[in-house]
Amino acid sequence: MVVLIAESLNIMSKTLGPALRERQAKPIQEMAKAEDEAGADYIDLNIGPARKAGDELLTWVVKTVREVTQKPLSLDTTNPVAMEAGLKVYTGGRPLINSVSLQPDRLAAGLPLVKKYNAYMVGLLWGQEGMPRDAAERGMLVAELLYKANEAGIPNEDIWVDPIVTPVCVEINQVKSCLEFMSMLSEIAPGCKTTVGLSNISNGTPAHLRTYLNRCYMIMLMRHGLYSAIVDIFDKELFKIAKGQNQKLVDIVYQLMDGKSPDLSGLNEEDLKVAKSVKVLTGDALYSHSWLES
Amino acid sequence: MTFARPKTVYSGKIKEMKLGTGPKAVTVGGETSYPFYLFEGEMPHLPRIAMEIFDSPPAEWAPAALEPFEGVTDDPVAWAKKCINDYKAEMICLQLVGTDPNGLNKGAEETAQLVKKVADAIDVPLIVWGTANHEKDTEVLRRVAEVCDGKRLILGPVEEGDHKKIGASAIGYKHTVAASTPIDINLAKQLNILLGNLGVSDDSLIIDPTVSAIGYGIEYAYSVMERIRMAALTQQDAKLQFPIICNLAKEVWKTKEAKAGTEDPRMGDPKKRGILLEAMTAMCMLLAGGDVLVMRHPDAIKLVREMIADLTAKQ
Repeated sequence: MVVLIAESLNIMSKTLGPALRERQAKPIQEMAKAEDEAGADYIDLNIGPARKAGDELLTWVVKTVREVTQKPLSLDTTNPVAMEAGLKVYTGGRPLINSVSLQPDRLAAGLPLVKKYNAYMVGLLWGQEGMPRDAAERGMLVAELLYKANEAGIPNEDIWVDPIVTPVCVEINQVKSCLEFMSMLSEIAPGCKTTVGLSNISNGTPAHLRTYLNRCYMIMLMRHGLYSAIVDIFDKELFKIAKGQNQKLVDIVYQLMDGKSPDLSGLNEEDLKVAKSVKVLTGDALYSHSWLES
Repeated sequence: MTFARPKTVYSGKIKEMKLGTGPKAVTVGGETSYPFYLFEGEMPHLPRIAMEIFDSPPAEWAPAALEPFEGVTDDPVAWAKKCINDYKAEMICLQLVGTDPNGLNKGAEETAQLVKKVADAIDVPLIVWGTANHEKDTEVLRRVAEVCDGKRLILGPVEEGDHKKIGASAIGYKHTVAASTPIDINLAKQLNILLGNLGVSDDSLIIDPTVSAIGYGIEYAYSVMERIRMAALTQQDAKLQFPIICNLAKEVWKTKEAKAGTEDPRMGDPKKRGILLEAMTAMCMLLAGGDVLVMRHPDAIKLVREMIADLTAKQ
């Protein structure tokens, strides 16, 4: 079962962005409630870099959301001052700090907060030189991250490693390395949890088809023990897959990943499209916007 | 232990395609290995070079490029014939620069009649290339397709934005389309799928990956072509198993290096410079998988022909 973090409360949203900036509680609370009811395990509050008055903003959002849901929250900003302000007013189950990456200033600011507020942390594998290029570089980054975090008194179990999912239509080798890294992680970093920004896999692909790539890639990551994912919580089929309610599809995708040819005739149309997406995500077929047709 | 040379495993083959009609039609494609890897597979048809002519007198050509065509550049028919008779062109590429709405803005009817005149006057395959203005190309190339019914022209560039209308005309009048995408393998595949869905048959599609000159980002074009061939030959990607056309002359000769005179002595002889830039660009494209090269200068073409002969000589 994959722990699901709902992604929709986001400063980038066309409707919620302005509501956040103008401190309109109603749309924010409606969304938080809807995410809660849709089954979110965590609710992500993404206020972006929040360079100006981020502390006031996150304080307000945390309090506002708390009035309508008791689900644990994922506080999502790169501004450490805002992060601490949000944590100060936070109540309820352990919060998730989203995220701490490997640039020295981020580590220096982020790790003490994780410890001080007894939070979980997303360990984003973004290094000093930016995006890791392959599985090995991800391995090096995770080793460094764990070393620094452990040194700060944070156990592996509290770290949710984010290997960084990138769009399939940009660079297939990154999609493959991310999977490969996931398959190695339990050996490199015993006890660590994982999370991914799932929807990024389908960034840049036709809007009405994105869900099939999202669902498919999640299953492929589940194969390697995916612990959690930041997702579109309103995708009901995705929810079912994450919560063990569509084992038939999961088994079929696993078989396809192994190069087998399982019988697809029993799948409904939706699941068939997910199964058809395996090939472009393993790199066996080159992605094009019409991948479902070819 | 004896040394075993690693060998690429190929599972696909580039489609063979006949371009043009009659005794001078050419066949391209059919490769079963990477370009010139004759120790691993076959290249049953050697790459072909199409000589470029313009539909209107060229305005900004370097003197070195104009010299071989002195006296014919104001007459596309004479120009095409000179390419064939004097420089042994196996194909002609007629660039419809005069139709550019930002330039002479010649009309569809006038242009179609001109294309027909050229097509009637020569017996080698004819490539007809628009200006990549969707609206204008749609208008012009559709009329060209109709007027030249049965000539088996190669029509380009056909892009996602105008593929439906130009593609439909090409199907109706039995021409080949050059499917053009901006240096992006995923988009190249996508356009081939779209053209296939439209009804363009597999023997009437050639890929234009968009190329550039040496020193002007050729490595991007090279890399995309290389990956197209890898997907086609080693991943059985049927939607990429098409020959590739490289419309390179205009890219080379518009660079400042090709156009510059003798002002800077470090730049060497201006005549040789352009020719070598064109020949080197063409060689890069051949090594990346080009099947048809659109070239301008007879000396550059000669150099490339020699290289092709050398690379494919039987031991």
